[in-house]
Amino acid sequence: MIDLKHLSIAYGETSVVKDVTLHVPEGGSFALVGESGSGKSTILKAIAGQITNWTGRIRLGEHDLQHGRDPALVRLCQMVFQDPFGSLHPRKTVDTILSEPLSIHGIRDQNQRVLETLDAVGLARKFRFRLPHQLSGGQRQRVAIARALMLDPPVMLLDEPTSALDVSVQAEVLNLLKTLREERGLTYFLVTHDLPVVSFLCDNLGILQQGQLIELATVDQLKQQQFNSEYGNELLSKSF
Amino acid sequence: MSLLTIENLRVSFPGEQGAIEVVKGISFELGRERLGIVGESGSGKSMTGRSILRLIEKPGKVTADRMEFDGLDLMTLSNKRMRALRGARMSMVMQDPKFSLNPVMRIGDQIAEVLSFHSTLNARERRKRVLESLEAVRITDPERVYKLYPHEVSGGMGQRIMIAMMVILEPDLMIADEPTSALDVSVQAQVLDIMDDLVTRTGMGLIIISHDLNMVARYCDRILVMFNGEIVESCQASELANARHPYTQGLLASMPTLDEHRDRLPVLDRTQLGGV
Repeated sequence: MIDLKHLSIAYGETSVVKDVTLHVPEGGSFALVGESGSGKSTILKAIAGQITNWTGRIRLGEHDLQHGRDPALVRLCQMVFQDPFGSLHPRKTVDTILSEPLSIHGIRDQNQRVLETLDAVGLARKFRFRLPHQLSGGQRQRVAIARALMLDPPVMLLDEPTSALDVSVQAEVLNLLKTLREERGLTYFLVTHDLPVVSFLCDNLGILQQGQLIELATVDQLKQQQFNSEYGNELLSKSF
Repeated sequence: MSLLTIENLRVSFPGEQGAIEVVKGISFELGRERLGIVGESGSGKSMTGRSILRLIEKPGKVTADRMEFDGLDLMTLSNKRMRALRGARMSMVMQDPKFSLNPVMRIGDQIAEVLSFHSTLNARERRKRVLESLEAVRITDPERVYKLYPHEVSGGMGQRIMIAMMVILEPDLMIADEPTSALDVSVQAQVLDIMDDLVTRTGMGLIIISHDLNMVARYCDRILVMFNGEIVESCQASELANARHPYTQGLLASMPTLDEHRDRLPVLDRTQLGGV
């Protein structure tokens, strides 16, 4: 579903992502782990079309990504951001946030779709006309997930979706993500530094260090704490 | 004798329907040890830390039957004496170096400010002490860092600078409010090791306020778990796995582990806990 071939990204002179090749099958769940500055978020941004000066090939399903604004892309993949306090428009109601993508893409049945998606992410319908500041962190992240689901994309890009949340709320959101993936056959591409979250949510992972993909591993390798690379094991030892 | 004694501490803020109590009568003692206070957002853990330093401003209201620090009554101390205490004998490391350092002041001068307020050292001695304190937090080239501005350093280094600023006068009590949650995992351990090292070397009391149960269990001697403004569990860090209160058990169970085989994570039942 997601196919990266020799992907390289540079900001000016500085090369941030170096020749990354990886493949995520349809319905798979892949995690990219690494320290800050390793380039993991940059790769995510390139897939989401936020960065355009990459070289190599990015393929989503049958669609080759273009180096510019690409209207087809948003129907294919949507992103959930780290901080639910920063990613929702503070002066738009949940209803406006959720129906905006529908209006842009000329999709009918807005009322029905908004209600369905609210149900799918486990938000009570009474929250529909609230503003973000009237919601808790976990509820906001549910709105952000709902927004990403509105256009029914097959691929979800998740940028540290639970690291701004309390552990008990994190559990709720992780359960939700797992359920949605099973129900809708979504493909997940997760960026995180939280290895236990990877263990719960993903099938495969890639370890990134200074822009280079050092190791592709299965989640079983993570569970048994047996990576092949030295750096992978170092990451394991630093994880609480 | 214990360093800090707190009995029946209450913090409240006025709300639309009368005062809302965010800390509901908690009591604990602290010796020269490392104490972790854990809880979720809104549990009152940060308010507890702030009230010890008397940093809660009006309209917030703090009451306590007893709040003593090394024999001094913190409730009745004048503002002037309180100022002399803060920074010199007890200090606080804040969460995010990005927002807590002065952006338009060089790092060395910022740290030296503490000395010019609390000590009679001259400029040259101050500079020497600052460089020493930077070295103590494992900054390898203190001369260079002295001249930098906060935006020129990384998050991990910023947090080490904050710690240098807090320990330069070797306080008896340090309160660290989420000292690592703004940092990358790879530097979290380093920052905590530095704090740990300073605590063992100087024998100060340390309170770490955090939502991260695992981290606190690893770096503290004793743990208080707060929920809804109350202490629901108090135990030795090594005994955390045997916690008895349903809230603590719920928190522990809701965390995914490295070797995760559960299909769904258990979720806290807040109505059962009688919470919000």
